[in-house]
Amino acid sequence: MKVQPTLLFILLINFQFLFSQDVGLSVFTIPDSLTQNANAVVRFDNTSIALESSKKMKVKVKKAITVLNKLGNDNSEIVVYYDKSNHIKRLKAIVYNALGKEIKDISKKDFKDYSAADGFSLFNDGRLKYYEYIPTSYPYTIYYEYEVESSNTAFIRRWQPIDSYNQSVQQSIFTIVFPNDLTIHKVEKKFKGYPIDKNISTGSLSYKLNAMPAIKYENLAPPLINITPLLKLASNKFSLEGIEGTANNWNEFGKWMYNNLLSSRSEIPEATKLKIKELVKDVENPIEKAKIVYEYVQNKTRYISVQVGIGGWMPMLAKDVDRLGYGDCKALTNYTKSLMDVAGVTSYYTAVYADNPKQDMERDVVSVQGNHVFLYIPSKEKDIWLECTSQSVPFGYQGTFTDDREVLVISPEGGQLKHTSAYKDTESFQKTHATYTITPEGGIKATVKISSAGVQYRNHFSLEKQSKRDVEEHYKSRYWPYINNMAIDNYHFVNDKDSIVFNEFVTLKAADYASFSGDRMLFALNAFNRLTYIPKRYRNRKLPLEISRGFIDKDEFEIILPDTYDIEAIPNDITIENKFGLYHLSVEKINPTKLKYTRTLLIKKGEYPKEDYKNYRSFRKKIAKLDKTKIVLIKKQS
Amino acid sequence: MKKIILIALLLVATLPVTFAQNTKFGKVSKEELEEKYYPLDSSANAAYLYRKRNTYTVVTNGEIQLITEIQTRLKIYNKKGFDWATKQVALYGDNSSRQRMSGIKAVTYNLENGKIVATKLNKKEIFSENKTDGLTIKKFTMPNVKVGSVLEWTYKIYSPFIASIDDMVVQHKIPAKNQELRVKLLEWFYFNKRQKGYYPFRIHETSMSNSSFDTNDKVLEIKIKNVPALIEEPYVNSMDNYATALQLEIAALNAPVLQVYKTFATSWSEISKEIYKSPYFGGQLAKNSYFKEDLQNVVNATAPLNEKIIKTFQFVKSKVKWNGVYSKYASKGVKKAYKEGVGNVADINLMLVAMLRNVGVNANPVLVSTRDNGIPLFPTSKGFNYVIAGVEIQDGVILLDATEKYSLPNILPLRDLNWEGRIVRQSGSSNSVRLFPTKHSKQTCFLNTKIDDEGLLTGIERVLYTDLRALQNRTHYNKVSENELVAKIEKDNDDIEIDDFKTMNEDDLSKSLIYQFNFETDNQIEEINGKFYFSPLLFHTEKENPFKLAERQFPIDFGVPWEEKYSISVEIPEGYAIESKPENVAYALPDKLGTYKFAAIVKGNKLQILSDTKINFPIISPIHYGALKAFYKKMIDKQLEKVVLAKK
Repeated sequence: MKVQPTLLFILLINFQFLFSQDVGLSVFTIPDSLTQNANAVVRFDNTSIALESSKKMKVKVKKAITVLNKLGNDNSEIVVYYDKSNHIKRLKAIVYNALGKEIKDISKKDFKDYSAADGFSLFNDGRLKYYEYIPTSYPYTIYYEYEVESSNTAFIRRWQPIDSYNQSVQQSIFTIVFPNDLTIHKVEKKFKGYPIDKNISTGSLSYKLNAMPAIKYENLAPPLINITPLLKLASNKFSLEGIEGTANNWNEFGKWMYNNLLSSRSEIPEATKLKIKELVKDVENPIEKAKIVYEYVQNKTRYISVQVGIGGWMPMLAKDVDRLGYGDCKALTNYTKSLMDVAGVTSYYTAVYADNPKQDMERDVVSVQGNHVFLYIPSKEKDIWLECTSQSVPFGYQGTFTDDREVLVISPEGGQLKHTSAYKDTESFQKTHATYTITPEGGIKATVKISSAGVQYRNHFSLEKQSKRDVEEHYKSRYWPYINNMAIDNYHFVNDKDSIVFNEFVTLKAADYASFSGDRMLFALNAFNRLTYIPKRYRNRKLPLEISRGFIDKDEFEIILPDTYDIEAIPNDITIENKFGLYHLSVEKINPTKLKYTRTLLIKKGEYPKEDYKNYRSFRKKIAKLDKTKIVLIKKQS
Repeated sequence: MKKIILIALLLVATLPVTFAQNTKFGKVSKEELEEKYYPLDSSANAAYLYRKRNTYTVVTNGEIQLITEIQTRLKIYNKKGFDWATKQVALYGDNSSRQRMSGIKAVTYNLENGKIVATKLNKKEIFSENKTDGLTIKKFTMPNVKVGSVLEWTYKIYSPFIASIDDMVVQHKIPAKNQELRVKLLEWFYFNKRQKGYYPFRIHETSMSNSSFDTNDKVLEIKIKNVPALIEEPYVNSMDNYATALQLEIAALNAPVLQVYKTFATSWSEISKEIYKSPYFGGQLAKNSYFKEDLQNVVNATAPLNEKIIKTFQFVKSKVKWNGVYSKYASKGVKKAYKEGVGNVADINLMLVAMLRNVGVNANPVLVSTRDNGIPLFPTSKGFNYVIAGVEIQDGVILLDATEKYSLPNILPLRDLNWEGRIVRQSGSSNSVRLFPTKHSKQTCFLNTKIDDEGLLTGIERVLYTDLRALQNRTHYNKVSENELVAKIEKDNDDIEIDDFKTMNEDDLSKSLIYQFNFETDNQIEEINGKFYFSPLLFHTEKENPFKLAERQFPIDFGVPWEEKYSISVEIPEGYAIESKPENVAYALPDKLGTYKFAAIVKGNKLQILSDTKINFPIISPIHYGALKAFYKKMIDKQLEKVVLAKK
């Protein structure tokens, strides 16, 4: 026992040594390999965490960044968050010129103090200190250091040494010391192939990354965080806004969450209980009951976020949501769950990393994770995942917000990791059926029906809530921008919330859809679903290709031609099939003035090595060209 | 008696649609709760059923305060209207004098089983966010909001800033059924009033006796019903410029009882004089010791005028960088800004004026209202938020803005181009100055191309930019890597593939900015049945008409007069001949607003194509919208016509 302080002492001396190395900050000492593709160079980034107990943590950061050009300026912004549980003990910065000579000294009072408004909360008690240096010349180096003391140990800062594109790292060091009554769980991701040294001993961990060249951003690559080193840590004993906990596995963690943050927050006023019971009284099937409760919540509530202290982690009381009719994701999920209980439907409060890109709860690091909560209803046929913050998504629709990822399901018995449903490529469909007439003047008149489901449902269903002006604007400017002079005669929508298919019915016309050349008339056959985007060209692709979600489009158009024209040329049928998907196009002549155009496009979900990128690009390029395939008509000689 | 009954009957007969509204706080009616959509505009997500504002002055302990009482009754028609259930109020000021808000009452009304149910907002659900120094935001969101709810809130704002009265806004993003707006000021206040926006309204002016001081208060009232929502339109610099409102600018305060005599500016010339007097404006112009020596080394005082101007201008740009802050007043002061190499707009451009004067150039500051600050139609000190430099010469004024690295004399960044500014001379005299340039900003594009017998198009393109076009391209793209710029050009031009990219005169502002590159593309020439089809402007074809709306209320704002010209040569593959080509045309807009010319001429085995679009005015009135839309349509139709090549 007595050994411990000495050990800590030695370690501290080591840090002193590490941090006092006021390495020459001249830009001339940066190796050439680190300036290629780089807008900024992290000269050193030293984070040392002292987890003194499960109730106290000190984080020290000393970092120097050389900004090589204007594009690197964002990398030199300094932002330090604080609130009632996180105190800034020290904060300063120094700016050096290219030669490494000090040109500006910045003290804590020079930092601007802002409310840490997250952009969606009505109120958030977090605040931040901010400093932005305005350079007069490049390159320059900005050094800063700060210390934050925190009573929250439920999350420990992660180490992500490569956190930005076009930024190289000369050295990044991460160290944590902790007393021996705490166990630190850790997970090291994507370390392979990166110049990382690590040193693990009793009561301390340290990691070092040296001389990492800048990575350039490339389209359709996996997110940076999924392909570069990431260290995540958690302490088995922790404290969150004054609430202490111990958890060595997800089951224990779930139990702690349930007991401290969720239980006894579910009371529902009698009047509402009666209402719910009345609504479900003749319904047997629990899923049907759940649908009724969900609809009730959607009609009664709206999403408003207020994050203050423990309120950032603990849901508002269900009875407050009942009275106010609003809440954040925690509050609305807890409220929905409480109503499900009243209706006799089993459901679970569930934590998740929501939105794009998909991110899993980290299995090996038991800790407070995720940025969102929603509701899980187990069911024999198919698991149901309910988003409680939206007034409009259909029952059980996940879209791209919570699909296909590991989540933490919490019950009084404990926590359990589960994987949410993923859409199959063919489940995310869009079917376009149209009949269109080309007039002798080259105009087009059409009735179009578009049905969309799965991930594609999400791209369409919000139209339902939009004003006429916005809907027309959508078709004219965004959906069919290539049809000029369009007039929408009428439209209506049928949102089939049971099968989760959104149907659009549009009648439209446009002058001059076809173009003329002497006696010939030309127009693109694919009037209503062109895939024109071509992935960017890279001469030397470095990163793998990721298609994070697949989809299928099926199109069928009946085309009526003007009878004053003959068909001069009709495109040939074509099918392209490869590992990325399928493209098929065919044109059938029904009679001299009637054609049938059929198109199928399947893009598969997948991950591919970088070498495949150019093949995928050429596939998309072909599609873009084929979608513009024209037919030629020639005026009848009479 | 009969007559009176008749009149009463007539009144009743004309009133059937609008029930009498009890506007008192809390007196929400069943009819208001039952209303399913706004009767005059079914697309409205929410509407003000009643808006009352009462702004008045009070005197306490010899200090005048401005009090504003707000009462709002708002209807939510659908879920999209929920955003209107959250209210945010900005309060300005620091510890010495600040605005305060009090007396917040807010209630949500719903109809439940035919009964009106009220839910009150709790005090603890009102948040106060200390945004940053000098700005606090009070916010709350209404409880128990549903589709169909009626919301009411009321509060008071106490303000020590008596010379600054918020605009009486009449038109909003949602319709307003009934509004009563009133300002009551002590007789000692003298003010200017002006109406802005497009929706007409009437102001009722009266006076009311004030027994405390035995004076007559001045009262302005606007009572107006059924104001439609302000609808967003494209190509407008800022929608707020068009929101109908009454603006009040306090000109003077003569309060003998309080021994307070203050004058505030009332005309452009007085406002300019007032601004000039400020130590943060005119005061900055007097200093010159801090730069004198450095400047002498760069600029020769005996050099010709133009040389002195350009050298001084470049010198300031190289010495001091803009921190992105707009202001007509210096913040750090010119001296400190010069030393630190960073400053706001006024720090930089006032320094420029001082330096120009120092080398014997007759320079003066020019006050500007930037595009997002609104059109400076009426004199107000808030009307100006920015300052540039001007040099008066025989045939006009040379305008300079040194905040923008790539600007030149008389080539200002777009943010400055907003009708008229005001040049303020040392003597105190001032004049308005036109900010819009008269010279066209040009983009001229030369292409030399060739089609091979497989339909592959290769060629070389050279594109030149002048004036604002050059400035904007330099600002956006000089800082990005060549690869990124190439990728952007490829993307914008139907994914052509570019090689040998060159930028010329990147930093040589005296010349046009030029991009030149070789390209190759297989998606421009379509082969159908052995014939080649292509659009004459190739990947430069304008494919979409930017003007899609049927009608338009606000001016179309291009910022500058401009010209876009393409000169393209296409070499035809061997064995092919031109079967048909679009005919030559020339279109003109009315009132010399603009022209379009197109020509395609065969010369041997080459087709020469010329396309030239010219818009001669920076701003086009909405009365010409129809003509402009039709002009674009004809131009695009022409560009979409095909050239056809057939085998000989």
